[in-house]
Amino acid sequence: MIDRLAAALKRSRADYTEIRVERTWSTAVTYRGRRLESATASEDQGGFVRVLHAGRGWGVASFTSLDQLESMVARAGELSRAVSVDPPIRLADVAPQRAEAALDLDGDVRGVALADKKRLIEAYNGAMLGVSDRIVDTLAIYRDEVSEYWYVNAQGAALHELRPEVTLSGTAVARRDGTIEKGLESVGLRRGWKSAQDHESGFRAAAERAVALLDAPMVRGGTYPVILDPELAGVFIHEAFGHLSEADFVYENPQAREMMTLGRRFGKPVLNVGDNGAALGLRGTLPFDDEGTPTQDTALIREGILVGRLHSRETAATMGERPSGNARALSFRHPPIVRMTNTYIGNGKGTFDDLIRDVTLGVYACGAFGGQTMLENFSFTAAYGRMIRDGHVAELVKDVVLAGNLFQTLDRIDHIAGDFRWNQMGGGCGKAGQSPLPVTEGAPHVRIEEALVGGDVPA
Amino acid sequence: MIERLLEVARRRADGGADALWRRVERTSVAFEWGRLKAAGATEEAGANLRVRHRGRVGVAGTTAADVPPDDLVTRALASAELGEEIDLGFPASRPPGSPLPSISTFFDRAAGASLDALIAMGRSLLERLEREGCQVNVAIDRETAQVRVANTSGGAAEYASSGVAVSVDVWRIAGDDVLAVGDSAETADFPGDDVLAALVASVNTRLDRALRIVAPPEGALPVVFTPSGLSPLMLPVTQALSGKAVLQGISPLGGKVGERAFDARFSLADDPLRAGRPSSRPIDDECVTSRRTALVERGIVRGFIYDLETAARARTQSTGNGERGIFGKPVPGYTNLVLGVGGPVPGGAASALGGGLLKDIRDGLLVDELIGVGQGNVIGGAFSHPVALAYRVERGEITGRVKDAAVAGNAYELWNRVGAFGNDARWAGSRWASSVLLEGVSVARR
Repeated sequence: MIDRLAAALKRSRADYTEIRVERTWSTAVTYRGRRLESATASEDQGGFVRVLHAGRGWGVASFTSLDQLESMVARAGELSRAVSVDPPIRLADVAPQRAEAALDLDGDVRGVALADKKRLIEAYNGAMLGVSDRIVDTLAIYRDEVSEYWYVNAQGAALHELRPEVTLSGTAVARRDGTIEKGLESVGLRRGWKSAQDHESGFRAAAERAVALLDAPMVRGGTYPVILDPELAGVFIHEAFGHLSEADFVYENPQAREMMTLGRRFGKPVLNVGDNGAALGLRGTLPFDDEGTPTQDTALIREGILVGRLHSRETAATMGERPSGNARALSFRHPPIVRMTNTYIGNGKGTFDDLIRDVTLGVYACGAFGGQTMLENFSFTAAYGRMIRDGHVAELVKDVVLAGNLFQTLDRIDHIAGDFRWNQMGGGCGKAGQSPLPVTEGAPHVRIEEALVGGDVPA
Repeated sequence: MIERLLEVARRRADGGADALWRRVERTSVAFEWGRLKAAGATEEAGANLRVRHRGRVGVAGTTAADVPPDDLVTRALASAELGEEIDLGFPASRPPGSPLPSISTFFDRAAGASLDALIAMGRSLLERLEREGCQVNVAIDRETAQVRVANTSGGAAEYASSGVAVSVDVWRIAGDDVLAVGDSAETADFPGDDVLAALVASVNTRLDRALRIVAPPEGALPVVFTPSGLSPLMLPVTQALSGKAVLQGISPLGGKVGERAFDARFSLADDPLRAGRPSSRPIDDECVTSRRTALVERGIVRGFIYDLETAARARTQSTGNGERGIFGKPVPGYTNLVLGVGGPVPGGAASALGGGLLKDIRDGLLVDELIGVGQGNVIGGAFSHPVALAYRVERGEITGRVKDAAVAGNAYELWNRVGAFGNDARWAGSRWASSVLLEGVSVARR
């Protein structure tokens, strides 16, 4: 395949050409309640070509039939020539990589029968259903894939990889009369069949939480000291800060560039933030991004100061910075754009108890139902919360929605514990119509000295 | 291709089969921060096969053109082996003299538009949206598709479609204040100047009114939701009106057919036969003839949407809402959602913000976009979201943009507290709606 792609490259008359081909085998088994909703195996394949003529714009083409490879390279060339760009697009230098990289398949899912995958997720689903009669509905999904990946570019890069992925997700819905609550469990790893084993307890806990929430009061809306658990702290840093550190947001927007000037203070000296696409075995981990740049650990905030950002080759060249290996594409259907990988808040000191010891009334917000940033504002929904009273964790509360202004909230992080862990959740990140891209986050427990918690709003 | 697939499937699956084949071609241009940066082309084709064997249903899909029909059928049968028993029937061939509904889905002007024409459209939008201190993004996608659906009961149909999607957003960053105002238009035909003018007016009006920042109000207040701002109120309702949610027992509207659940002026229908809309189609992805489905009429729940499988399980008929990708099973999905009495396809959509509903508001809010819609326990109806774009209304006038405010409520309760519907009905994505004034909505500030 690499030879065939290299031959197609040679025939391209553009100044820069890159070709990506993917062939993906995937299976999915879905249970809803006691019903097996579907069990399917799919095969998806296609290619992507991106071409640049000097002084012209990007010409891109994607296709499912590999017979079209040569004609699509030509088509992308025509598209590039049809677009004039001034000043011209430049690409930062990256030493061309040649690699044959098999990620650890960890029990190749392609060798496991669909019936075995069905049995596995059936058991996890059963663990949720078995918790209580109050569990009226469940959704349990097993999904895996192995993607064979080829990449070449005109500067000599040639990559061939096998990329595995396995995700498990569970939603338990508990109901009593008109009250409906849910609990979530999610596991996502760039690994294989072995890592999909032994997750019953997580699914059971999700169902137990849904049932417990039926009796929980809605949190009273207001301003509190808020402690985020590592899962929610990770989602927070991804949503509220990570997207602003993606250089395509700032590189050609002078006002945005000013707002995100390196050296600007974003938080107290306890705050360290980074993005590490090279961390082992996580969902956002890959040896190279989709421009052939090696992934790396990039510091974004060091001791409260903005020190870096995430780049593609194009954004790095424009800003006179170095590519960081963050140009990622969801699949052959899409161009690479600047994305996060595994984003984290660096470890602090001390324990969870140190964070709550002097809190008279606060909220301990745990897990994440979702999050969204819009401009400098964000909102995310915790899976559940607990009140903190006089330095102790107290009653369960529900509907904990945190909302705020990014700059104010980052600056109000005043204490970070030393209990860092990576989330190993499924799901993913959405941007520019490319969703869900596998990413993950990591963090220790984090305290925000004051944050707005939505809930019942005094009318 | 699907005829060969069905031929093989007929021999090997005792309960029949159906299949969909789709080929899509797309051309796109992207203007990033005011500059044309990229042009793209996509060509994609694939097939989705569903079989019924020994009462069980299985599916398989592929984009690999070189997969032998036998292999795909084998995969679908393996899926069926694990599948659930469903009494699934496939719609038979159409009787002579009953043609497919006449709906134009393919427009030569859209399909034949050159790359230069798309670029020219983008440049013209850019010029009209350009303003000091702001950055403009424009994306234009033109798509043509061919769809063929058929089954072993003799049902078969095909159609071609075209569509153009234009989206624009204008960004203004002043210090740490970030403002983005965007809008989009999707049409089956090449959009006329009236459509583009409406898009420009919509963005410019909302941007002009947003430049001044004012303090948010607080309390239980009259709040006007614009057509695009209605999402937190519509999402729970559309989820609850899906036959799938009803079957799962999680729909608050399940079992309420014939009961009043909404304000008497609230009506909602799914209409795949709307002229000029890219979601319109003569037949669904399971070979079921398209028709309008009344979901709510004058506040009374009338029905739910179904595909073949959910209909079979609910012992009712498919409403022609089968939606099918290349991979996975068909699912019930909406086409064009029409709120209220509907109206003509928008030409010069009203540029007056608020649809005439602001004049009697002493102190309230106009909500255009909230943050985080779709998170949490959506189908239950409760929501609490900070504002992304909202304006304060005082003594009948917009006085400026509010930040740092959150809007909360329960969609089902609020649909029973409608003050009035506006006169500004338009398409927001595939939803046709006007602005709506709701009374006593919780607004909090910090």
